[in-house]
Amino acid sequence: MILSRVKPAVGGKTPVSISEKKKKNKTRVPRLEEYLQQRDYLGALTLLEFQRSIGEKEEHADLWIGYCAFHLGDYKRAMEEYKSLTMNPDCPAEVWVYLACALFFLGLYKEAEEAASKAPMSPLQNRLLFHLAHKFNDEKKLMGFHQNLEDVTEDQLSLASIHYMRSHYQEAIDIYKRLLLQNRDFLALKVYVALCYYKLDYYDVSQEVLAVYLQSIPDSTIALNLKACNHFRLYNGKAAEAELKNLIDISSCSFEFAKELIRHNLVVFRGGEGALQVLPPLIDVIPEARLNLVIYYLRQDDVQEAYNLIQDLMPTTPQEYILKGVVNAALGQEIGSRDHLKIAQQFFQLVGGSASECDTIPGRQCMASCFFLLRQFEDVLIYLNSVKGYFYNDDTFNFNYAQAKAALGNYKEAEEVFLLIQSEKIKNDYVYLSWLARCYIMNQKGQLAWELYLKMGTSSDSFSLLQLIANDCYKMGQFYYAAKAFDALEKLDPESNYWEGKRGACVGIFQLILANKESKETLKEVVPLLRNSGNPQVEYIIRALRKWAKDNRVLLS
Amino acid sequence: MERVDRGKDSRLLKNQPYDESLEVIDSEEVASVYSPTPGSRRQSESRRSRAGRGLMSANSSSDEFEDDHKPQKAKEPIGGQPGVSPNEEDEEEEEEEDDDDSDEEDTDDDDEPGQAPEGAYDPADYANLPVSTDVKELFQYITRYTPQSIELEHSLKPFIPDFIPAVGDIDAFLKVPRPDSKADGLGLLVLDEPSVKQSDPTVLSLWLSEETKQHGATELKKVTSVASPQSNPRAVDSWVESIGALHRSKPPASVQYVRPMPDIDSLMQEWPSELEELLGRLHLSYTHLSYTPVLHSPVLHTPVPHTPVLHSPVLHTCRNPDLISFSLCLCS
Repeated sequence: MILSRVKPAVGGKTPVSISEKKKKNKTRVPRLEEYLQQRDYLGALTLLEFQRSIGEKEEHADLWIGYCAFHLGDYKRAMEEYKSLTMNPDCPAEVWVYLACALFFLGLYKEAEEAASKAPMSPLQNRLLFHLAHKFNDEKKLMGFHQNLEDVTEDQLSLASIHYMRSHYQEAIDIYKRLLLQNRDFLALKVYVALCYYKLDYYDVSQEVLAVYLQSIPDSTIALNLKACNHFRLYNGKAAEAELKNLIDISSCSFEFAKELIRHNLVVFRGGEGALQVLPPLIDVIPEARLNLVIYYLRQDDVQEAYNLIQDLMPTTPQEYILKGVVNAALGQEIGSRDHLKIAQQFFQLVGGSASECDTIPGRQCMASCFFLLRQFEDVLIYLNSVKGYFYNDDTFNFNYAQAKAALGNYKEAEEVFLLIQSEKIKNDYVYLSWLARCYIMNQKGQLAWELYLKMGTSSDSFSLLQLIANDCYKMGQFYYAAKAFDALEKLDPESNYWEGKRGACVGIFQLILANKESKETLKEVVPLLRNSGNPQVEYIIRALRKWAKDNRVLLS
Repeated sequence: MERVDRGKDSRLLKNQPYDESLEVIDSEEVASVYSPTPGSRRQSESRRSRAGRGLMSANSSSDEFEDDHKPQKAKEPIGGQPGVSPNEEDEEEEEEEDDDDSDEEDTDDDDEPGQAPEGAYDPADYANLPVSTDVKELFQYITRYTPQSIELEHSLKPFIPDFIPAVGDIDAFLKVPRPDSKADGLGLLVLDEPSVKQSDPTVLSLWLSEETKQHGATELKKVTSVASPQSNPRAVDSWVESIGALHRSKPPASVQYVRPMPDIDSLMQEWPSELEELLGRLHLSYTHLSYTPVLHSPVLHTPVPHTPVLHSPVLHTCRNPDLISFSLCLCS
């Protein structure tokens, strides 16, 4: 069989060449075979219909129409054709399994099973039932049909396809490689291998294997789409989109096959542009559509909507586990639900600990997230450090990374990483502000922490930040800002007693002055700070301060 | 696995807001071992008042963390008597705050437990200041207050995955064979996918009826239309092109006249001078002239002149550069 095209099937040219043939073959109309050879099923269908309309019928015209519609991907049309055939009393029994195939691709699994059961036993019927058992998650039946599979090409390929859908990519590759050794001209298998390598994240290997096929069939939709996806993973969305654009340009307007896939991937390559228009109708048509819509909502911070979409999804692939983990983690933190956090942590652990994902970046992120939720920050750091190189400017990464560092007392590095963050949303998050303030204070930069407080509006958060500044500064001997913070707390919250802290901080300033660690001028500020409190001890302390000031010729007011 | 070992000797001193104790030997079999700890819910309150915390951490030693548990040092309540930690000798304040610190920051403190943060206040640094006893007494106020350890909340910003492109599934060989049982090689020699070049059914139908001269046999079942031509010029172009190609392949349309027609040269003769004069006097603008032309269209005893004949001189004029100005008006 010749694989490279003899002539392009351009709309205008095909009929010309066919009319040339007509002269040679003395056939009145172009032959069906020519359209089939070019996989121009729309042309073939038109021809068949035309013949039907002028009363000139190909043998088994109905079956041919079904065949063409099926391979065109118009399963609905194929189903209708086969269905009407089965209405005939003298319908060949194997039509039932064809009908079942069409129903299968329409997602009508129950109906497909019913139709298949009316067909005589055949390898095709067994394969179909095998795949139906997979769809129904019926392991027992699956094993039964598995055993009926024979060591023939079609059956083995069908088995490989199940391996692929169950994420057992290596097993699938083994089958393909074995068959390729026996049949070097089974070029399509190269694409299957490339698909497996893609799923295994070996994008350049995938690309290499794929190139062999594209050399022969440069305009293959499936292959070009895979190439675009490889580009997306290897380079970026732009490179991928260019590849897909190329595919759109070479395909004729009447080409409908894989249109949904292309539309879906355009959204992906454009970073979610048009997601709300394109993706919702594709949910449950393209498995990734739901996940991508969830990702889109997460990026828009619409956690609830993301949760609604993924809530009922039973995860099977690592991507689904990860996404369920992410949504549960986000929602659990947002609404303070332990249960959601528990689920998130388990999913993260499952993915991060799995053999296939433990060495991938997402796998490491999962482990880090899992330990983060468990508050085991040393472990968080081990995992984050292992992928740090890929996330230098990533705000999300840096936010988690800095928190882990700070939690372990590594305040210097934590401060640096916190300050790399650009996102205004994170920078206004109290978790960010409080931890950064703590880092500043631990790094003896109490003033910067105080400035963080000054920039905040009055809120319960700013009140908490004051408590943090007061106590942490006290702990670190930065008594000036501790005293200021206690003073502010006293004003904001007159009911509580901050006197002991303030007293200690003010005396602390005095001690620092005596140790020449604080300017003598600061003492001037201490007196009014003390006076702000109504405690009887105030006068006693001030008297002591005045005495020292007098002895040391420091002007107090 | 290193992971597992680490988990084993980690000592959780107290519960954090979302802590779970989970010994994972095999990640595949993670079962839910959620067991609520008495204190965990109260944790958030402890930011303000540490009073409850001593109790809490005491409780925690009796719950699920059984492996080598370090006895927990009791926390003294806020504002209470300083420096009465049970198992410490001197520098109580110092130790106290260290413990607070490690306890809040190192959940698994397998290395140097209870180390003071670098640069923390140490009263010993100031013990030798040459000051009066009054001032020394005053200094005691510093250590009289034990700063609270403020629990800060953590927030995991989940790593949102990249968008996921779809590559589709692999051919499962659930396919209809050719009705003539010949091998089609689909899914083996080539992928089982239609070619990107599909014939346009409408155009092809027209072709077929043209080729077979079976006009009317194929009534177009549907009239195709381009939904939004401005955004889809390619569809329009391709339609125009294919229909153009269809027409080019047909012989040009011919008209059969009922009677012999006058020669084009005679039609192109100037008008009689009287008429020319008359036209001049009318000051007819060219646009007025448009083309109701009193051109010498033969009437040939029929009320309506044949349009082709009427148009012929016009067409001819347009092709004649000498008459270009005239033709302009005719064509306008």
